[in-house]
Amino acid sequence: MPQVYYVEKNSLDEFAQRLRKEFTVFVPVVKEQTFTKETEYTYKRLSEAQPLAFNPYRNVEPLKAFFTYSLEKAAEYFNGDVPEMPEEKTVIFGVKSCDIAGHKIQDFVFLEGVEVDSAYRLRRENTVLISGDCTDFKSVCHCLAWEILPHPTSGFDLNLSPLNEGYLAEVGSQKGGDLIQKYKGFFILAKDAQISARRQKRENLTERLKKHLFPQNLVSKDSVQKLMREGYHLDTWHNFMLTCVECGGCNFICDTCHCFLLSDTPEGQRNARLKLWDSCQYGNYARVAGGANPLKTRAQRLRFRFTKKFDFFVDNLGIPACCGCGRCIEVCPAKIDIREVLKDLAKKLNVAS
Amino acid sequence: MKNIYSPIEAVIEDIIVETPTIKTFMVRPGQEFSFRTGQFIELTLPGAGEAPFTPSSDPNCKDKIELTIMNAGRVTQMLHNAGKNTTVGIRGPYGKGYPLDRFSGKDILIVGGGVGLAPLRSLLFSLFSRIDNYNKVILRYGARTPHDIVYKQMIPEWSKIKNVDVLVTVDVGEPGWGGNVGLVTTVLKDLPLEIKNAVAIVCGPPIMMKFATLKLLDLGFAHSDIYLSMEKNMSCGLGKCGHCRMGRYYTCKDGPVFTYEEIKEIPEIWE
Repeated sequence: MPQVYYVEKNSLDEFAQRLRKEFTVFVPVVKEQTFTKETEYTYKRLSEAQPLAFNPYRNVEPLKAFFTYSLEKAAEYFNGDVPEMPEEKTVIFGVKSCDIAGHKIQDFVFLEGVEVDSAYRLRRENTVLISGDCTDFKSVCHCLAWEILPHPTSGFDLNLSPLNEGYLAEVGSQKGGDLIQKYKGFFILAKDAQISARRQKRENLTERLKKHLFPQNLVSKDSVQKLMREGYHLDTWHNFMLTCVECGGCNFICDTCHCFLLSDTPEGQRNARLKLWDSCQYGNYARVAGGANPLKTRAQRLRFRFTKKFDFFVDNLGIPACCGCGRCIEVCPAKIDIREVLKDLAKKLNVAS
Repeated sequence: MKNIYSPIEAVIEDIIVETPTIKTFMVRPGQEFSFRTGQFIELTLPGAGEAPFTPSSDPNCKDKIELTIMNAGRVTQMLHNAGKNTTVGIRGPYGKGYPLDRFSGKDILIVGGGVGLAPLRSLLFSLFSRIDNYNKVILRYGARTPHDIVYKQMIPEWSKIKNVDVLVTVDVGEPGWGGNVGLVTTVLKDLPLEIKNAVAIVCGPPIMMKFATLKLLDLGFAHSDIYLSMEKNMSCGLGKCGHCRMGRYYTCKDGPVFTYEEIKEIPEIWE
């Protein structure tokens, strides 16, 4: 049984303030200027005496932005092997289940394989993830389609579930357990009734989300790889790409997309190697010296993005690289909807959803 | 803590002009560096950038790496303008290389096109160093014109080695050229080998690889006996940056040498 504690709202505020003394603490806040009907949340550094806000659903920014940066210095050469990386210890509140699911992909890429990305590992080690149950959802949310529940079940250090005038805090790791121990004055062991109440709230939200998704007739986790394999030559890729403006927004906002580019630049006496997020929707993404380009058309690139998510990762990690957060749907100026692309393939291939 | 994106320092010791567009760079790494034949490295021109190359030298030679490079893009053009003693960087080696153990006792057909002979030369050196381990080594090399042939002095020497059979062809001949004229596929007939006990290793431009593979299949080579060097945009070399993905593989980490069997189901592999 996981350890679950109850913490009063005021105590949690005080806990967060104490954390500020040893960590940089990021918390969800309402994003002031948005162009959407829904309230948007973003991460901000916690300031003194600021009470914690609870985000009912995921923030605008993907979690990956704390671990790989849109632009960073990956190396300076030639000066040995150790990059200068004074990284702060960080606590992030407001992480959601989809973020954690997406993060599995980032971990797989940067922590596993032939070699480990040291900067990523350092940031990961220095970060405490304090997640929270979703208590509402955005219209684009579809985590359940990928069998991801709207409350985290693993992958967090602490998870908060709102309950009455406080929260239940579940310990998900040694790091989380240590924090509770250190600040044990704030936390009291949860009662069975409180845990039952949490279960009820979770089930209610899951049911509501199911009802929201049911009419959408979404593609299932099990059929998606088949769609990639058999739908390779369908006109879906072309049709959906007609409006694409190649901004790369879908990749950059995606919690699972991890592609980057290394680019060198002279910098004083040293040479810097920059690491930048890259987008497979850009025309020169796969181009090689001499001009050959296996991804010449936007249709090929859309298909590449999808086969990466739904074929490559299913083969290599056993899960699709989509967490159903819907960020790519919101960000796309051309209204290309990942759900609709998959549904179109399924329809044309006669695959039941 | 190791930084996987940081190159080690090396220096260009010598440059051999192979053709008007191809040079071989002799590079001495500042610290110990070794590779297996067929593996590639990322070569940095400081301040300018990196590009992936498979060494063309003998992997048994530990203190020097030779890289045969065509002037084809931004970084390679700057490399071609660089002189002796230029400081460069190297990262790697990356990828799996050629599975030499699977070639023991076989007839080995090596098919090269243009600068694609570079990695194959490294392979040839490895084979030559243990030539008794293999039944036969047959090289079929095609270049555009006689001027475009790399390793001009070296190739005639190879054909003197026991159990080595070499044939060079050019797409377009010229006065004074006494050799074969025709695409490399035209010299893939009447091969002095036993196909059932043979492997074929192909490296060259995608269009040449495609037609050479089709020809080899036609000759009856098993799909798993045809080894292809795939050219993709390999930026990190580590299976992280995403660019070189081909189906379920990353070309850098799972290749760059694949058997035809491994990749034949992937659509558009010759693009």
